[in-house]
Amino acid sequence: MFKEKTAMLGKGEIKYFVGGTGRPLIHLHGAGGVRPNAGLEALAENVTIYMPVLPGFDGTAEIAGIDSMETLADLVADFIDKEIGEAADVLGLSFGGWLAAWLAVRHPSKVGQLCMENPAGFRPKDAPAPSTDPETRMKQMYAYPERLPKETKSDKVIAKNLSMLGHYHGDTSFDEKLASQLGKIECLTMIMHGTRDGRVPEEAVQFLKRDIPRSHLIYVYDAAHSMETDQPARFAHLVADFMERAEAFLVNQGTTSGRPQQVL
Amino acid sequence: MKYSYTHHMPYTGIDRSGQDWPVPNKQFDAQKGVEMFNRYVEDKIYAEQTGFDWIGCNEHHMSPYGLMPNPNLVGAVVANRTKRAGILQSGNIVPIVNPIRVAEEYAMLDVMSGGRLVAGFMRGIPHEYVAYNVSPDESYDRMEEAMALIKKAWSEPEPFGWEGEFYQYRAVSIWPKPVQLPFPPMVMSATSERSTRLAAKHRAIAGILALLDMDDGRANINRFKDYSREEGWEPTNDHVMVGVNCCIAPTYDEAKKILEGGQEYFFGVLGGGIRTAQQLVVQKTRYYGSPEESAKLRNKFVNMRSGMKTRSFDERVEMGLMICGTPEMAVEQVTRLHTELGMGRLGLTIKVGNVLDEHVTRTQDYLRDIVFPATRHLGESAGPAQAAE
Repeated sequence: MFKEKTAMLGKGEIKYFVGGTGRPLIHLHGAGGVRPNAGLEALAENVTIYMPVLPGFDGTAEIAGIDSMETLADLVADFIDKEIGEAADVLGLSFGGWLAAWLAVRHPSKVGQLCMENPAGFRPKDAPAPSTDPETRMKQMYAYPERLPKETKSDKVIAKNLSMLGHYHGDTSFDEKLASQLGKIECLTMIMHGTRDGRVPEEAVQFLKRDIPRSHLIYVYDAAHSMETDQPARFAHLVADFMERAEAFLVNQGTTSGRPQQVL
Repeated sequence: MKYSYTHHMPYTGIDRSGQDWPVPNKQFDAQKGVEMFNRYVEDKIYAEQTGFDWIGCNEHHMSPYGLMPNPNLVGAVVANRTKRAGILQSGNIVPIVNPIRVAEEYAMLDVMSGGRLVAGFMRGIPHEYVAYNVSPDESYDRMEEAMALIKKAWSEPEPFGWEGEFYQYRAVSIWPKPVQLPFPPMVMSATSERSTRLAAKHRAIAGILALLDMDDGRANINRFKDYSREEGWEPTNDHVMVGVNCCIAPTYDEAKKILEGGQEYFFGVLGGGIRTAQQLVVQKTRYYGSPEESAKLRNKFVNMRSGMKTRSFDERVEMGLMICGTPEMAVEQVTRLHTELGMGRLGLTIKVGNVLDEHVTRTQDYLRDIVFPATRHLGESAGPAQAAE
């Protein structure tokens, strides 16, 4: 479904994947790199998803001078210019959600609507750090690990992906510089949080909801950190509805099946 | 021991109701209904004066079994006219109603009562699902999701939305919020394995409301304790409430005659139609969960009913399944229940079937004057609940 392409940007070349039908949506990946999955495939029925591989992830080369969240956001803005040519909706998962917020702060004209999916970068200082125990980490990441697509990446690539987080944001868990600028985000924003997410505390998304002016916080029930694989249908429906109807997504549209809707 | 007053508000103006579901309401006499409501509400108010710690209201639909399809309406009256007692809603049948509405109305009750709400979350009895056209197969999953949503609605500091399996809301921010933070105390049934797990997960007070015998009650309580420990907490005596019928009179024979008659009316007249729907649900759906759990619970309720037929009333009193007799006998029976089960709360249903209202009041008075003073000390320890092994 997703085709691999290359984008020539001002600072260098990056790989990206694209697929789907409809208005463009930039998907910024998390620590695991680009991972097509059932949620993204369902979403691609309504939007055209562009998934840039951020430099250094998934075996790609780093780009000189792109070594912070700010410079990485500038690179994504350039990607939008070159490949879309106008403002695009942006969806960021975890690390990608953090990056998406930087993009919206630094390049507001490039972002149509913003969706932050279990975003990293805003962990309160008194919140416990995510577990490093493999079994606990697995539970924090996946409510339904059996729904994960088969792993295609080598251990070496996975390890390098994780190391790239430090490359871009050091050991920051709460990005004070960005937090102080959240009020500058002008676009309509949806913050999504899995009710079983053990990696991003709910205080983090509550903070974002409080400080981003035109934002909505939606809890996705029975999803952990990997919302796209835990609850692909809910994820895709919610994002597509938000992107399509904007603020009007608050209003129930009823059903189109002809069956009367039961009001509970 | 802490006491909760349970009163289903039955409609007692009929001699027979038949087996039809739903129970035809042409027999409902509005004037009698008015009189019963007024009397029943006064009984609930009087429960505070006689020393009950909690006053209970509960939800049932489409039968003379209970006239409280929305217990929150009655709870509001009780909250307004009492000062001390906890307002136990035991409870709203969460899977069949709008959970945001439950969160709102419970928050209202907590505010109206100055923080006295005891929030009961029940799955109901099977016929409720026929009444409200909700799939019984979905009841546990709806319950779990609704509970999570209600607690979010109470505690979330920012407006939020919810994308779930059964419930979708894009913007929630309830007014008022509860007085008691982070949540009012919660009561949940702990009869089936899954409901017990849920009660333990939410650190609720476990309601053991269908005692087959002492072994069965102990097993339920111990299972609740085990599951709670797995969830990382230790229940105290106060986290276990056992429900029984109660009648106190000057002699055992009189108490027996009153309560036995009330039970016969309850099962024979009030319970007819709902049993028809119940059998449909239990036989045709996964209301009780897995086939194994379902078979176990079906057997339990069959045994309870057959126990009613095969065991004499006296035998059931002897087994400790009721509080019945003189005040002194009642003290012994409560003491025995506590010794055997280790609970710190007892829910008493005095208006059983068509027990006369003056007999209800008399039992309340005996409780106030003799039974409560003699049993208050039971289960006072805030330590772990200790049932006899």
